Amino acid sequence: MRTKRIRGAVALTAAAVVAVATAGCASERGEDGGGDENKPFIFAGAGDPESLDPSLSTDGETFRVTRQVLETLLTHEVGGTEIVGGLAETWEQSEDGTVWTFHLREGVKFHDGEALTAEVVCANFDRWFNWEGTYQSSNFSAYWQDTFGGFAANENEQTPAPNYKSCTAQDELTPVIEVNEYSAKLPGGFTLASMGIHSPKSLEAYAAAEPPAEGDSLTYPTYSQEVGTVAGTGPFKYAEWNKGNREVTLERNDEYWGEKAGVKTVIVRTISDENARKQALEAGDIHGYDLVAPQDVQPLLDAGFQVPTRGVFNLMYLGITQEQNPALEKLEVRQALAHALDRQKIVDTILPEGGTVATQFLAPTLDGWAEDVPTYDYNADTAKGLLADAGEEDLTIDFCYPTEVTRPYMPAPKDIFESLKADLEAVGITVNAKAMKWSPDYLTAVDASECGIYLLGWTGDYNEAYNFMGTWFANYQGAWGFENEEIFDALAEVNTEPDPATRVEMYKEINALIMEYVPGVPISHSPPSIAFSPDVNPPTTSALTQEQFAEISWK
Amino acid sequence: MTTKTDKIDRLAELTAARAEPEHGLGLWREAFRRLKRNPMAVSGAVIVLLFLVIAILAPWLAPYDPEARTWDHEVFQNQNIFVGPRAENWLGLDNAGRDELSRIIVGARQSLLVGVVATGLGFAVGALLGGLAGAAVGLGGRVGQRVDAVIMRVVDMLLAMPSLLLAVSVAAILGPSLLTVMVAVGVTQVPIFARLLRGSMLAQSHSDYVLAANALGVKRRRIVLGHIVPNSLGPVLVQGTLSLATAIIEAAALSYLGLGNPDTSYPEWGSMLADAQRFLSGAPQLAIYPAIVIIITALGFTLLGEAMRESLDPKLRK
Repeated sequence: MRTKRIRGAVALTAAAVVAVATAGCASERGEDGGGDENKPFIFAGAGDPESLDPSLSTDGETFRVTRQVLETLLTHEVGGTEIVGGLAETWEQSEDGTVWTFHLREGVKFHDGEALTAEVVCANFDRWFNWEGTYQSSNFSAYWQDTFGGFAANENEQTPAPNYKSCTAQDELTPVIEVNEYSAKLPGGFTLASMGIHSPKSLEAYAAAEPPAEGDSLTYPTYSQEVGTVAGTGPFKYAEWNKGNREVTLERNDEYWGEKAGVKTVIVRTISDENARKQALEAGDIHGYDLVAPQDVQPLLDAGFQVPTRGVFNLMYLGITQEQNPALEKLEVRQALAHALDRQKIVDTILPEGGTVATQFLAPTLDGWAEDVPTYDYNADTAKGLLADAGEEDLTIDFCYPTEVTRPYMPAPKDIFESLKADLEAVGITVNAKAMKWSPDYLTAVDASECGIYLLGWTGDYNEAYNFMGTWFANYQGAWGFENEEIFDALAEVNTEPDPATRVEMYKEINALIMEYVPGVPISHSPPSIAFSPDVNPPTTSALTQEQFAEISWK
Repeated sequence: MTTKTDKIDRLAELTAARAEPEHGLGLWREAFRRLKRNPMAVSGAVIVLLFLVIAILAPWLAPYDPEARTWDHEVFQNQNIFVGPRAENWLGLDNAGRDELSRIIVGARQSLLVGVVATGLGFAVGALLGGLAGAAVGLGGRVGQRVDAVIMRVVDMLLAMPSLLLAVSVAAILGPSLLTVMVAVGVTQVPIFARLLRGSMLAQSHSDYVLAANALGVKRRRIVLGHIVPNSLGPVLVQGTLSLATAIIEAAALSYLGLGNPDTSYPEWGSMLADAQRFLSGAPQLAIYPAIVIIITALGFTLLGEAMRESLDPKLRK
């Protein structure tokens, strides 16, 4: 018995020694392995990408992946919002603003070995312009339609007339793109991830592929759902999309024209739950994740993680769908809603540090933000008075909010909803809560005018105020459910005004005009955070949430 | 599956062996006497009683309105500033500045409501199915056998599914609401009650008084309805109290998964737990309170239920 015990003790000690020794080895190896570019970098996003072809999508989770693979003619300076050359080193705009001449970089090769030429660029634009059938649905070509209008042959009455005219190859490296009318959406539109330039071989394959389908759910073309067809020029190329594991693997493009990526492999994994993302980072399963909850920032920093904060380039708002509820068509009621909401409280208690209350439908970092717009201070009595004036003391409103989601502009939607709901109830409004899954239920319900009021927001694509206001108020939209020719006309006018300085003044007036009409209530601007493990050199954060994974390396 | 069905069948069998005339005390009274002497049963009963009192009197016991965000300017969830227990709020405030104690107390009411309605629903449907099957066997004949076989195979299929999975499927089909939770939890109880009542009826059908009635020429229908059914309901009622415990836990689980009341400001232990999970590092107490009350309540019902089962089991008599 005794000997056994001693033997046991010896064995235990020996095991402990071995364990300590191996642990020592492991940590040493870890130090040696510092800067090992072969170690894959694993990043967690909150949702699966929709498609490997960004032209078919509008979704940030999709662009996070495609932006590493496909490059655009123009892009934004690293970490900033200024537009700089991308695949085109320089560019010129004609006097009247309708002719854009790009000078492409020399020696740029696609991942499949094809060369980048002016003709390839034109083939890309012509592909979008000549889209037919289901491609013309706003589900698959939203950004094209938003930037360049419709198609060569519009098949749907609602599709706007095309503003795109032609693309010609002036010489080998000089594509010239012409539009019918000057548009404030350019040159910003050339930086959109959806306008990424594809290889000519890929374009051929796309043309032969089955088009996407709409039904109860969207069906993307096969080529966009598996690795192999889509090829760009970026610092990474697609290696694998494992839908079962919810992982997209990107491999370094060793032929890249610019500075090569710091790690060989990047894996973008989907972890929907924000707690699970945080725990995965803490456990070392992943090396970075996006959409950090505000309350997790300080604990992560305390634990030695890196949590850089992005600049503010977003807006969260309370959308109002006027046609869903006749009461909401009354100006007094909408003003009452604006007065009833304690937006400062949301900024103080729920949003991350650095958040501010929004006064208008534009982030303050953009030119055109106006100092003096009609504001609606939090005052329950004023709200009650306005409701009484409108004869709507017994108002009942359907209030939709999304579940199981956080957005860069909207952490904790449920908490925000509950806070707003309490404010509305305090002024005597009965709130009918409607909780829905973010995608597709919630977004579909909002667009189909099924919600009286709802929570939504926007992160700017590029530094032009039209990208904010024009997105919502340039024409009739189901989500807002109103027709206001004054606002529609003003936005149409500013869109075609070539002089930037004049545009800024016009934006300011339009902001005031919009806030007088209160189509919705702007709530807040807040800086989203992104987290990385201590052993990573993180990429420069981007207010536009356009981080370049090529900048990542191991310490 | 086997342990679950075994337990149910055993309960049916045991209580059927009642009303032995030579026994001084009735089986139930005997069982109650043993129950009183069992410390497990007593502590379980105390917890259950306490829970019932709190749930029923919740609106009067809760110090504040559980939905009022009275102190929301004191809690900053984005900076992990929470308010712990203090004189005015014995359990502190939740992440929206609401009184945690009031929410826990009123949450008990919601749990009890779901538990009782769900169990009632399961009892009604289950007893109907089980009674039908049992009666079909009792009435005999080939048709009776077939009816019984069909009903019981359906019940077996339901029983084969893990009850939480079944509840989640039902809730997912119906969409989140309070009624959904009740129906979903009720559905999981149906097979248990059905199998129990049928088993109990089959056991009764072999008893002496049925034989006597048969010998006297009483019509079979009368024997089934007038003798077997009323005498078989006992174990089903015992199962009812046992089911309350699982119903409360499953209701909490469903709201934890976001399938409960969409009006999330109304307190419910499961959704309170799910909410608090996000603030585990800043305010672990917000997760601990609802977790503790769920555990204690479930423990109370389980202790009482197990003790009841034991005291009814003649083989465990000391």
